[in-house]
Amino acid sequence: MTSVLEVKNLKTYFFTEEGIIKAVDDVSFNVPKGTALGLVGESGCGKTVTAMSITRLISAPGRIVGGEILFNGYDLLSKSEKEMRQVRGAQIAMVFQEPMTALNPVLQVGFQIAETVLAHQNVSKREAWARAVEAMRAVSIPDAENRAKDYPHRLSGGMRQRIMIAMALVCHPALIIADEPTTAIDVTIQAQILELLDSLREQYQLSLILISHDLGVVAEVAETVAVMYAGKIVEIGPVMDIFHNPKHPYTEGLLRSVPRLGSSAQKRDRLEVIEGMVPNLLRLPDGCSFAPRCYKRTLECTLSPIPLEHVSRSHGARCIHA
Amino acid sequence: MPDRAEPLLSVRNLKKYFPIRRGVFSRIAAYVKAVDDIGFDINKGETFGLVGESGCGKTTAGRAILRLIEPDAGTIRFDGVNLLQLRKHELRRKRRDMQLIFQDPYASLNPRMTIRSIVGEPFAIHRLAGGLEREHRVADLLNIVGLDPAMMNRYPHEFSGGQRQRIGIARALALKPKLIVADEPVSALDVSIQAQIINLLADLQQQFGLTYLFISHAIPVIEHISTRIGVMYLGKLVEVGTSAQICLAPKHPYTQALLSAVPTPDPAAKKRRIVLRGEVPTPINPPSGCRFHTRCPIAVERCKTEEPPLRQIEAGRDVSCHLV
Ligand SMILES: Nc1ncnc2c1ncn2[C@@H]1O[C@H](COP(=O)(O)OP(=O)(O)OP(=O)(O)O)[C@@H](O)[C@H]1O
Ligand code: SF4
Ligand SMILES: [Mg+2]
Repeated sequence: MTSVLEVKNLKTYFFTEEGIIKAVDDVSFNVPKGTALGLVGESGCGKTVTAMSITRLISAPGRIVGGEILFNGYDLLSKSEKEMRQVRGAQIAMVFQEPMTALNPVLQVGFQIAETVLAHQNVSKREAWARAVEAMRAVSIPDAENRAKDYPHRLSGGMRQRIMIAMALVCHPALIIADEPTTAIDVTIQAQILELLDSLREQYQLSLILISHDLGVVAEVAETVAVMYAGKIVEIGPVMDIFHNPKHPYTEGLLRSVPRLGSSAQKRDRLEVIEGMVPNLLRLPDGCSFAPRCYKRTLECTLSPIPLEHVSRSHGARCIHA
Repeated sequence: MPDRAEPLLSVRNLKKYFPIRRGVFSRIAAYVKAVDDIGFDINKGETFGLVGESGCGKTTAGRAILRLIEPDAGTIRFDGVNLLQLRKHELRRKRRDMQLIFQDPYASLNPRMTIRSIVGEPFAIHRLAGGLEREHRVADLLNIVGLDPAMMNRYPHEFSGGQRQRIGIARALALKPKLIVADEPVSALDVSIQAQIINLLADLQQQFGLTYLFISHAIPVIEHISTRIGVMYLGKLVEVGTSAQICLAPKHPYTQALLSAVPTPDPAAKKRRIVLRGEVPTPINPPSGCRFHTRCPIAVERCKTEEPPLRQIEAGRDVSCHLV
């Protein structure tokens, strides 16, 4: 299968007064055409910075300091800002967690979607509007012609998120990066949005990067899962392997610590936990970043950086005891 | 309930309507029926989980029960007295026995106060332990919640989210309360930290015989921690039962849809998802009859006009649905 996106050894650092924050540190993954990659991890592990690096939206004090980002074979890191503007929105589109901040409050939502079309395609305003309405229909917004004339505040959170998805879809991009698209949304509406993303993927042959801290959401949507911890991918592989046969102690611990629906069948008083807390990126330990919290830790783990190695053909883990 | 001990908390017909004012004279144009006639009991030592989606009224219910906002109607019997009949100073004394833990450990701690004064504040307010004794008590509390008392002189910003939630819990425990209302206490925390705090809450319950009203939208969390669960929709309780009754065999169509919408962290799980149509209507003008009828997959004519009462359908389980 050909890859829409290949990220190789990506490094994005923030040069702050307190020191260098290696927010993304040697991250590599592929997104084969038509598939979904799930990126999971806890707050601050570098998921959003990874997404922003792919679309080259990193600004000072941040900088991409290394690696390659190949989109349909072309290196995005060597493109000019002008060329990148043609890529963003048209070929790679983003959907964010909080649609209200991404939408302009004083413009009709249909107009905002149409603007995306006009920015990338040589069509009339009428045509752009028609495409906006069509995209709104594609994301199952009822009465799309009239809703297009609404201002963002008139719409519910779920509807706004549909607008964001319509805006992402309207130029038929090859890749959508959705950063916590349902985190701010109620679970019954989340179910609608996830179903929608799923059906759109089939219909448009879309490739998707879905960023989430919710293991459940990722398990439902993604074919491949990458688990990030402190700026690095610590485990990556097919969704079944990651959830049923995790090799990294962090992935293992995360999966064990989430309460699961149906747990009252065998009531336990305590959850299994990962002790300690997420490390400060300014003060990472030598060796494995997870070592201070790891139940498998040995002296060896703390000596030098741990490489991401194959545990099977398509499954990798950054752990010497995997 | 004949030969059962009296519940620690017994809520009946609780209502809280928020007026919406409009126009130059700020006339009351409508009401948000945030909590509209709910009732439940919580026995001593148990955890009652209140679950529902945003705007269903669960936070308002929690605050109204503590009288942090004044309810419009109902009775709240707590530890033998009706809280709604207490005068200000009586209520103040009673408040020691009921504490609140907030969702947002960032916003709920005063950034200019040290941990020592934050955790010691309840003693100051109620003019209890002073001086060295207060310091010892604060140190004890910090130990209990798993924080190093040596950090007592630091400020909230020096702590992580999970640690700040521990500080909030220490403060809530200061006056040895009987009831703790925890409103989304782990929702703002990272997955790996959530489990730590959930365990801490369970340990404290064991250790001090605490009773919890645990409010959350996170259903697996509610299921894990609760003895019994109440499911809210648009200001009403639609189903109440034991954790197992609600989560293993839900009866109300809303509970069923809500549970089926929860993503499972298991890619092999075969799901039969009930995707609800449309959006949650506004509690300003809630639908007639059964409030859920506009989204209900099995609604019949009667549901549009007649409000289903919450009634017991089997031991320990109440449901408000004409078709159950
Ligand atoms: N503008 C910035 N300046 C300095 N540091 C930054 C900046 N933006 C991000 N970082 C740091 O980069 C790291 C990764 O942040 P990122 O936003 O990618 O995390 P995330 O995985 O998306 O977390 P969340 O789940 O909270 O969204 C964090 O430690 C963050 O503090
Ligand atoms: S390398 Fe060592 S410390 Fe790191 S995850 Fe593996 S066992 Fe744990
Ligand atoms: Mg993020």
